[in-house]
Amino acid sequence: MTQSDFTAEEFAAVFPKLAETMAEALGCDEEDITLTASLIDDLDAESIDFLDIVFRLEKTFKVKIPRGKIMEDSRGALSESEFESNGVVTSAGLIQLKSFLSEVPEERFKSPLNVSDIPRLFTPETFLKLVIKAQREQAGAAQ
Amino acid sequence: MEGSNLLANKAVVVTGGSRGIGRSIVLTLAAQGANVTFLYCSNGAAANETLAAAAGLGGIVKAKQVDIRDAQSCETAIEAIAEDTGSIDILVNSAGIIRDNILGLLTNEDVQEVLATNVLGVFNILRPVIPYMISRRKGKIINISSVAGEKGGRGQTNYAASKGAINALTKALAVELAPRNILVNCVAPGVIETEMTEAIRQQAGDVVKSRILLGRFGQPEDVAKVVLFFASSLSDYVTGQVLHVDGGFKMS
Repeated sequence: MTQSDFTAEEFAAVFPKLAETMAEALGCDEEDITLTASLIDDLDAESIDFLDIVFRLEKTFKVKIPRGKIMEDSRGALSESEFESNGVVTSAGLIQLKSFLSEVPEERFKSPLNVSDIPRLFTPETFLKLVIKAQREQAGAAQ
Repeated sequence: MEGSNLLANKAVVVTGGSRGIGRSIVLTLAAQGANVTFLYCSNGAAANETLAAAAGLGGIVKAKQVDIRDAQSCETAIEAIAEDTGSIDILVNSAGIIRDNILGLLTNEDVQEVLATNVLGVFNILRPVIPYMISRRKGKIINISSVAGEKGGRGQTNYAASKGAINALTKALAVELAPRNILVNCVAPGVIETEMTEAIRQQAGDVVKSRILLGRFGQPEDVAKVVLFFASSLSDYVTGQVLHVDGGFKMS
């Protein structure tokens, strides 16, 4: 998904509630939830907060976001062995990851990049796309 | 503890609540004012007996049939319970089975069945429950393992492996959840007089009893009272512990 993958209407419908929900989960101000903030480095999120954020987003937007979905989506069409080797993202994996996380500024992608450091790249926009994708899938399934 | 109200309005989920230790836990927590939903796998008659025994105790007790080996059923059940009670404050993982035999005679099914209920079943319940606790920044999780998790016992390799896993899980999960004020502890019962231990008690009762320092088998209430301690505010500074309630069996 790239930025153009969600419409202005979708953004307007989702972002304010998303910001409110994430601020509640992280105990920060809503204004701190900007699209490009790093959840871990800028907003002090810990790994356990991701579980909380996904859970709250599911309740707020009444969508299902399977656990592990975000990491699965990060890999795209690549198999696990194509995406990573010994815990380090491969060059093919890095290209895929940059495309999936198109909102993340280039300089934040370190090379070599450990798989365990991928969550450091996540921003509110990562979750915005996750919600919009889940909404679309749900709407598609309902038709 | 009678006359106290240590768990007033607390929403509690107890797995394996229709019989044995689980039933006693349900009744003990309900008597302290808790709103308890217990899960049971298949024995509806036993579940009804637990419900009947709970009448007039003070709390609210409801039953729900769920096979905890199935992750999706667990998720659906926990969501329905949380919807009903508004939250989940306390989780007691009490469901467990035995398939005892010496290793040479244990089948793969005996091993898989025990691990599926006693270990995977716990994960299946934990996953949907924990987000409710994280969101509210508080919670108490009490796992029921067994003295068999630490003390070797003939014919119990599969059961011992499952209960040792629960002891280890308790400690690891306590570390993960401590930052969100969720306390995880474990009660490890010795030989308690329930249906599940009837065969053991009949086969080797006198020998086993002679090794229990207090000289008697435990009652389900002996375990339930310690679960109450971990469930209540009496233990607000305790996490990651495995407490043996075994009359000194492990020490002998």
